Amino acid sequence: MSHLPWHSLSLNPLAAFGILLTLGVIGGQIANRAGRLPAITGYVLTGLIIGPASLHLLNQPLLSAADLFVNLALGLALFESGRRVDLHWLRVERTLLLTTLCYCLAVFAALCALLLQGGLGGQASSMMAALGMATSPIVILEMLRETRAEGQVSERLTTATALSSLLSVIVFAIALSSAHLQNQHSTEDAILSPAWLILGSSLLGLLAGLLAIALNRWLGSQQRQRQTVLLFGLIALLVGLSVMLNALPSLALLVFGLATRNLHGGHTVSEPGLLSGSHFFFVAFFVAAGAQLAPQALASHWPLALAYLLLRSAIPMLCWWLLAPQNCLSRQRGLWLGLALNPLSGGSAMLLGMSTLALGADASAFSGTMMAVFVISELTGPLLTRLALHRAGDIPSED
Amino acid sequence: MLHFNNSTPLTLGVELELMIVNRRDYNLTRGSDDLLLLIDRQQHGYDIKPEITQGMIEIGTAIHQGSDAMLQELQRIRALLVSSAQKLNLGLAGGGSHPFQHWSEQQIYPKERYQLVSELYGYLAKQFTVYGQHIHIGCPDGDSAIRLSHYLARYIPHFIALSASSPFYQGMDTLFQTSRLTSVNAFPLSGCMPCVENWAQFNDYFQHMAELGIVASMKDFYWDIRPKPEYGTVEIRICDTPLDIVTPTLLAAYAQMLAHRCLSEEWHDIQAAHYHTYNYNRFQACRFGFDGVLVDGAARQQTGLQEDLLGTLNALQPQARALNCEKELSLLRERTLKRQSDSQWLRAIHHHSGSLSEVVRRQSEHWMYGSAA
Repeated sequence: MSHLPWHSLSLNPLAAFGILLTLGVIGGQIANRAGRLPAITGYVLTGLIIGPASLHLLNQPLLSAADLFVNLALGLALFESGRRVDLHWLRVERTLLLTTLCYCLAVFAALCALLLQGGLGGQASSMMAALGMATSPIVILEMLRETRAEGQVSERLTTATALSSLLSVIVFAIALSSAHLQNQHSTEDAILSPAWLILGSSLLGLLAGLLAIALNRWLGSQQRQRQTVLLFGLIALLVGLSVMLNALPSLALLVFGLATRNLHGGHTVSEPGLLSGSHFFFVAFFVAAGAQLAPQALASHWPLALAYLLLRSAIPMLCWWLLAPQNCLSRQRGLWLGLALNPLSGGSAMLLGMSTLALGADASAFSGTMMAVFVISELTGPLLTRLALHRAGDIPSED
Repeated sequence: MLHFNNSTPLTLGVELELMIVNRRDYNLTRGSDDLLLLIDRQQHGYDIKPEITQGMIEIGTAIHQGSDAMLQELQRIRALLVSSAQKLNLGLAGGGSHPFQHWSEQQIYPKERYQLVSELYGYLAKQFTVYGQHIHIGCPDGDSAIRLSHYLARYIPHFIALSASSPFYQGMDTLFQTSRLTSVNAFPLSGCMPCVENWAQFNDYFQHMAELGIVASMKDFYWDIRPKPEYGTVEIRICDTPLDIVTPTLLAAYAQMLAHRCLSEEWHDIQAAHYHTYNYNRFQACRFGFDGVLVDGAARQQTGLQEDLLGTLNALQPQARALNCEKELSLLRERTLKRQSDSQWLRAIHHHSGSLSEVVRRQSEHWMYGSAA
């Protein structure tokens, strides 16, 4: 009887994806009903409970197998986030661009100083600070969908999120270059690799944008469903190609979205929007992200992680509060916008691998602190964003 | 007792309800508060106010003698609105209905009157997220206002055909030239004014309705044409908001010429029989626009709407000369001859692009940046 399947029962990737979705939805609903928490927090908590750190229902190989869906989710979110950047608006409303640049650079400088003070090396500090600049597009988009938030705070929030992600990736690539130089890696690693990361990824995104517009036109105006399938295919292809070519998928996807939004003929590339169909992948993404968390990192790294997050929250709040009138907002709404930018980018986790390769001796402290940051941020970020959107008046009242 | 505030005869004013859309997918967005807040930071003196749901805004002109001055004012209001909307990344558009918004997603504007309407009419209030042009014509007294209201009822199909700009509703082509009026028809106090003959009779009717607890003010009547005693005007409420800012002034000029003829000829042919075909003719204009058929109950004959409109325009030459609006009359004739309507333009964009979002994008560009020449 030893050949019967339950004697050697182990989950395959599809079953793992099924578990991510099923338990994720249940967890999200419980969090919503019992704790009045955002569904995202429920998904992440579910992942934490069933992941390697707790019940071990999902192990690391299975989570790696589910990466396909996770990367797709990230790709969809980054593409959509890129589409929220309206260059026409930024030309008219330069204050928005300047405010975003201002708070991102201030966050970078402050985090660098904090981490250096906390005993991390220069390269680890600059990379970790670069990651701290970005707000998570997937959390912001999902929160806006869940709460049906709309208004000036939401509008500026989505633009600032996309721009912060762009800046973060670029500064990260430069910091990576510097780390390679400091650790006396080859010139190719030091210069060509970061240049490829930035320019190559941007070029890939731009080409994908041009291709999407051209194919969309070729398919014709009456083929909306096919155009949607095509777009989905191009997003998957771009994620896969970026990984294959050692480029930055996050940058490529952001540029892809930005190109389709702003190039001539790109306006109708994503209609109807992909977000409603992306919800499946988003749930899986958040549960998987929760499962990847290692709360034990908090034990040794919590003071630095907490200081990192406090600083990261306070600076955008201060900048947006100060520049609120120039951004057509009341001071109070500016403050809430700063708080809404709290969720740390989930895409940053993808960059961790690259960092640890470049950092050498500092890698362990870097990963430990970053993990502690993620544990706190992924659990509290969505809650703070929802609170901020509610207080800013962007969430509609229930009829 | 309603008091009619007499006004200078044949003076004009228009109100336009506009869509507020996001510039991402061009769906309606709750932008009225942010927009009004930003506009009110500047000293402007224009009449710009919220409407029943938060994806709407209403602008109103001052009182004018003719449509030229009105167009100039509309241009100034548009410039103010556009500069503010650009800062907020909002789009503004004309058109009688948003092509793909879903009524259940709309939010009632937090103002006491709108909340009361929402409580009374339930989902009808949100379905009332449609956009119209109202034309006010000054009247010397209440009796004239009643006469003019009845006189204009005959020409309601003309106004519908000339302003039709809502072929799409809730994501579908309705096959109507204007679908907006279907939302208005659902209200129990819509349609036309009862067949009263003078202001005293109208007052009796109003008192009766008020005593029955059906109405509290004139605002509770959603008629196609109604007297507006506090302004001293007759208000035509049948038109879709046109896609540009020139058409509203042409419609106002048409109303002014008709009113001139009514008041100067002392028209008084008020009969209930005239209203027997009112709804049918109204439907024909909504459904077919210039290609509709009008039934004259008294003469027992049918006429094409385009032919009837052209005949009326030709007969208004003396009034056009008297009011100095021959240019407007000529433009109206040209449009009628070409059967040129906003609905047709919107359908052509949709046919070409296959995208309702693209339709609204073009609508918005047209209203915000279109030529006023």
